[in-house]
Amino acid sequence: MKAKRKFRLSYLYLGLVVLFLYLPIALVAVYSFNAGRLSSVWEGFSLRWYQELFRDKELFEALWNSIVLGVCASCGAAVIGTLGAVGFQRLRWRSKGVVEYISTLPMMTPEIILGMVSMAFFSLIGLPFGMTTLIIGHTAFCIPYVYMLVKARLVGMDKSLVEAARDLGAGELQAFFDVTLPLLAPAIASGMLLSFVMSFDDVIISLFVTGVNVNTLPIKIYTQLRTGVTPEINALCVLMLAVTVAGVGLSALLGRLGGHKKKEETL
Amino acid sequence: MSKPKPRQKSSLWLTALPLYIFTLLFVLGPLVYMVVLSFQQRAEVWGVLNEYTLDNYLNILQPVYLNTFLQSFKLALASTGCIILIGYPFGYFMAKLPGKWKGRMMLVLMVPFWTNSLIRLYGWIIIFRANGPLDALAMGLGLTDEPLKLLYTYPAVLVGMVYVLLEFMILAVYSSAEKMDWGLVEAARDLGASPLRAFWTVTFKLTLPGLLSGVILTFIPSMGLFFIADILGGNKIVLVGSLIQDQLMRAHNWPFAAALSVILMAMTSLMIALYKRITHTSELEGIL
Amino acid sequence: MKKLISLLTAAALCLALAGCGGSGSEATRQVNLYTWENMFPQEVLDAFTEETGIQVNYSNFDTDETMLARLEAAEGGDYDVVLADDYIIETAIAEGLVAPLDKEALSNYGNIDPFYQGQFYDPDDTYTVPMGSGVQTIVYDPARVSVDVKGYKDLWDPAFADSIAITSNFRVMNGMALKILGESYNTSDVATIQAAGQKLLELAPNIRLIKDDNVQDDLLSGEVSAAVMYTSQVTMACLANPELEVVYPEEGVGFGIMAMFVPSAAPHSAEAHEFINYLLRPEVAKQVFEFQGYYCTNQASYDLIEPEMQDYLILPEEFKSNTEMIENISAEASEAHVQVWTEFRSACGL
Repeated sequence: MKAKRKFRLSYLYLGLVVLFLYLPIALVAVYSFNAGRLSSVWEGFSLRWYQELFRDKELFEALWNSIVLGVCASCGAAVIGTLGAVGFQRLRWRSKGVVEYISTLPMMTPEIILGMVSMAFFSLIGLPFGMTTLIIGHTAFCIPYVYMLVKARLVGMDKSLVEAARDLGAGELQAFFDVTLPLLAPAIASGMLLSFVMSFDDVIISLFVTGVNVNTLPIKIYTQLRTGVTPEINALCVLMLAVTVAGVGLSALLGRLGGHKKKEETL
Repeated sequence: MSKPKPRQKSSLWLTALPLYIFTLLFVLGPLVYMVVLSFQQRAEVWGVLNEYTLDNYLNILQPVYLNTFLQSFKLALASTGCIILIGYPFGYFMAKLPGKWKGRMMLVLMVPFWTNSLIRLYGWIIIFRANGPLDALAMGLGLTDEPLKLLYTYPAVLVGMVYVLLEFMILAVYSSAEKMDWGLVEAARDLGASPLRAFWTVTFKLTLPGLLSGVILTFIPSMGLFFIADILGGNKIVLVGSLIQDQLMRAHNWPFAAALSVILMAMTSLMIALYKRITHTSELEGIL
Repeated sequence: MKKLISLLTAAALCLALAGCGGSGSEATRQVNLYTWENMFPQEVLDAFTEETGIQVNYSNFDTDETMLARLEAAEGGDYDVVLADDYIIETAIAEGLVAPLDKEALSNYGNIDPFYQGQFYDPDDTYTVPMGSGVQTIVYDPARVSVDVKGYKDLWDPAFADSIAITSNFRVMNGMALKILGESYNTSDVATIQAAGQKLLELAPNIRLIKDDNVQDDLLSGEVSAAVMYTSQVTMACLANPELEVVYPEEGVGFGIMAMFVPSAAPHSAEAHEFINYLLRPEVAKQVFEFQGYYCTNQASYDLIEPEMQDYLILPEEFKSNTEMIENISAEASEAHVQVWTEFRSACGL
């Protein structure tokens, strides 16, 4: 009985914090239907900003760029970060600790400095600015997230599983793909997700390392602030929210399928 | 335990190479440039001279700038404190949810996380605005007659910081609480420990790595997230991040901005070293 | 799971390749425009493309400094037409990043109001075409304050406690105090700048907000009762609420020009000139300025501007004599400005 009541209290707590997280987003969504240009005053219901949004082809181009960039950077970070974390576990080089430390530095360097010096460096080595430099720049600050998550998972992992697989005759690579990688998958997935979100949200580094005619969505939003946000941005936010919810629903569906599989595996 | 020898022949270390090369090329390269820059002399109007000096570091010692570091540090401390108070129980309770609900809660958390942070902060502006929803609520309840003037104040900045960074803490605590062996808590209880004591000696110790990595993920950005101080604080609270921004964008003093960044990075490195020291204590390793 | 991951990885690689390869250009004529967001209405750009077949690629920067840094990194290449602020253009020209204009290709050059020409950043008009101008004005809501504001000094009035918005351009803000002391914006004397800093500290209790973007929103919603704003914001605020009072400070009006130039290694120089010439047409300029809300620099379009916008888009004749532009100053003086400003901001936050 006692335990049950405690649980209810904790549910209430969870609910309140979730409310805290959702309230501002809900308000942004509500104001996307505001008829007025200034978001400070409610002037009645209107779909005007959705119409304007769909006419703004630049905004959609920027959105597409951001998605491509986010996917490339998070996948790049996932591959490099995961392999790195696995390899570093075996590595006995002296420079290992230093390199490991340096690779996590982008996470704690002010973005504006990182953006500035990356730009200076890319121009030094003669890399043309554009999607390529954007992907490199974003991958650099995404790697630490994947690396740290995968490393944490590796530390907590039961090493005897790999050893068992090796004892049963699996090659090093086979053991990696059959045992290690599936065990790491949740960490990699959450690292990638985190990377995508960070990349999708980044303004400052992008501003510096982008090229001609490659605007990302955050650049658009950020630079629009200069002349005043129109509820067009709110409308975009609602659309993105819809996409997010759809994506989250889809992954829930996939998760359910995956969950069944897991049960089968344990059986 | 005897360790099998064949493992030493592993060639899996080769997989570290991409990270090695990428890091040396695209992370170390720019960072070295930054350190070099911090020792250079600024040119009269724009750019840098090829002369080396310590002036940029000495400049930081001026009271104005030390004060900025202090102000920034205080805000980061306050927001991290709030984030721990809100985020730790959340991550903990979430890990205790029944299996199905854990996944659902994760999905619920993903939606705000995926939404652009500028847009989310914009929502807070709507809330805090004079005669906005919060004012209407307070006046409706008869708590006040006048607008609260909450926007562009210190508490507004604090709320913004907590709001933007909270989920990092929740996810970090959750992941370590989720990995935890709850049997240990039960064992402690069976051995006669009070719930509080069992929590303190077992749960807390086991979730400490999560908590600390949450602290790292929130404290460091909150020193630099100047746009929150801009948007919700009316730019009146000077963070180290805003100082760097001013130096780069308005004063065109790149070397000083680089020196400030080097100091900021040194401070964060210190924190991370501390984190490693704490999480590698013998008790923790004993449990692992 | 294994298959899923390898599939994902493969998909990622394909996307990465597509992303990198997708930037290949076609044979169409194009012009790379580089400026802030929302400076040109889409209709104007579309009409240009329709008329000439030249595609306009509009890239944005957030601040002048980002623009200059990127132009440096590209060594004057990549972009064809850049629209930026006066002081940064001076630096860009000094660094050799700007190409002289081919006046032969600019048949509409004569439409420019000569008042905006021959300025410090380009004394002989070799490199630039002005495209908009702004002044720092005080705007206040007479419904909220009883003070009759004449100049900067009135902002120090205690009646304005916690209710003024200012911009974060510290040269302009420290400049208010300098102007009150009767000094120039561009003084290089550190002691004078520090004296202005002391004066500015007294203003701290009145400051509610330091913000560059969207300040008109705060004035209209009643978050602040007075604001020092840029021209485009003034225009937007006054169009939304005609009751607002606009003051050209009696101490002197701070004034800036935005101008277009063609970078030294612009890949499409001919198209760039064609585009600039198009923007200099009176009817095009009218559209652009009504969209931007800055002071019009094209005298041929003065009469075309809609009557209700005339007041906001054409700089009043009587203030033209009392203006001063903010120019680049010595490293030492600029360092003093940052210190004064940092101290002032910390004082505002307390």
